Amino acid sequence: MKDEFASVKFFGTVNQLPGPLEDGILLKVKGVPFLHPQYGFSINVQFMTPVGEGSIKRAAQLLELKLTKEGLFDETRKRTLSYPPAKVGLVTSVGSAAYHDFIKILAERWVGIEIEAVDVQVQGDIAPNQIVSALDSFNTAKDPVDVIVLIRGGGSADDLSAFNTELVTRSVATSRIPTLVAIGHEVDISLAEKAADKRGSTPTHAAEFLAPDKRQVLTALEQIKLQMVRALSDKLDNSKTSLTDAGLDLNKAWESYFEGRKQSITEHKRLLEILSPLNALKRGYAIVRQSGNVVLSGKKLKTNDELAIELADAQLVTTVKNIKLK
Amino acid sequence: MKSNEPSYNEKYKQLEEVIESLQSTDTDLDSAVAKYEKGMSLIADLEKYLKEAENKITKIKAAKSK
Repeated sequence: MKDEFASVKFFGTVNQLPGPLEDGILLKVKGVPFLHPQYGFSINVQFMTPVGEGSIKRAAQLLELKLTKEGLFDETRKRTLSYPPAKVGLVTSVGSAAYHDFIKILAERWVGIEIEAVDVQVQGDIAPNQIVSALDSFNTAKDPVDVIVLIRGGGSADDLSAFNTELVTRSVATSRIPTLVAIGHEVDISLAEKAADKRGSTPTHAAEFLAPDKRQVLTALEQIKLQMVRALSDKLDNSKTSLTDAGLDLNKAWESYFEGRKQSITEHKRLLEILSPLNALKRGYAIVRQSGNVVLSGKKLKTNDELAIELADAQLVTTVKNIKLK
Repeated sequence: MKSNEPSYNEKYKQLEEVIESLQSTDTDLDSAVAKYEKGMSLIADLEKYLKEAENKITKIKAAKSK
C-alpha cells in the first residue's frame, strides 16, 4: 500500500483466528474482497493461518502459553486408553502412507478391532474444520468408539499447521472419548499431540501403543499351557503321594489289628489249657462216671454199682466194693 | 469369534480364573482335570482367534466443510 497510514479492514469471527496473535506474525488470509463507497476496501475473512516457519512457530508458542494457562495440557487430564480397544475412530487422510502404516502395524499386532476411518484432509485450509467435524461425529455417535486416533505423516511446519490450530487443539482436549494423536515429525510436538491423552511419535508408534503384539501373546499362551500341565502334574503327584500314604496307613492298621487278634487268641488258648480237665488228669486226677454221668458224690452209690473211670491215658470199668462216706 | 460367543477378553479372563483355580490347593484332582481341559480348550480358541481373525475397516468420507 502506498499510503503508510492506510489500512484494510478484515471482518471475520473470533473462531477464524488461528490463536492469539502479535505484531510480526505473517498470516495467510483467505476471504472475499468488498468495496464500500463510504468505508472503502475490506475483506470478509473465510480462513486465516500463520505462514512461514517463524510465524507458525511463534503463533504456536503464543497459543501454547494461552492453552497451558487454561490447563489443556495438564498431565492430570490424561486418561488411559483401552488396551486393546474394540473400536477405533481413525481420523486421517485415508490412502496416505500414515494411514497404511497404521493399518498394517495394527493388523500385525492385533485382530478383531473395528476401525472406522474418517477420510479428512490433514493439511490446507479446510483441514482444521474437517478434523474437528470428524472428532465431533465420533463424540456424538450412538455407538461410541473406545479411542479416537488422529494421525498424519511428517511434513513442513506449514503442512502440519492444522495440528497447531486452537480449533483442533481444543477439539482434541475436550473430546469425551480418549484420544491418541501421532504426527510423524521429529522436532516440535504439535499442540494437538500435547492436548491428547496419549501421543505417538509416528503413526506406526500409535498402532504399537494401541494393542499388544499378538505374536507375544501367542508365545505367552504357550507358556500358560506349560504352566497348566505343571499344575496338573503337581496335583497328580500330590494325589499319588496321598494315595501311597493312605495305603501305608491301611497296612499299618491291618497289621496292628492282626497282631492284636493273634495275641488275644494265644491268651485264650493258654487260659483254656489251664482250665482243661485233661490237664488235671495228667496231674493224677480221674473222672468217675456212672451211666455216662459224672459222679460228684458217693451218697447215691451202692455196692456192686458199675463205674467208668477216666485216667489221662486209659478208661477203666470197675465195680463198687465198699462205700465209706466222709 | 462369532458375535454370540464370548469375546477374546472374556475368554482370557476365564483362562486366568482356570489357572488360578488349577494352582489352588483347594482344588481336588477331579475338578483339576476338568479345569485343565477347559483351560486347554480356551487356549485353542484364543490361538485360533489370534491367527485367523482380522481387523474390520469402515471408511467414511469427511463431512463437507467450508
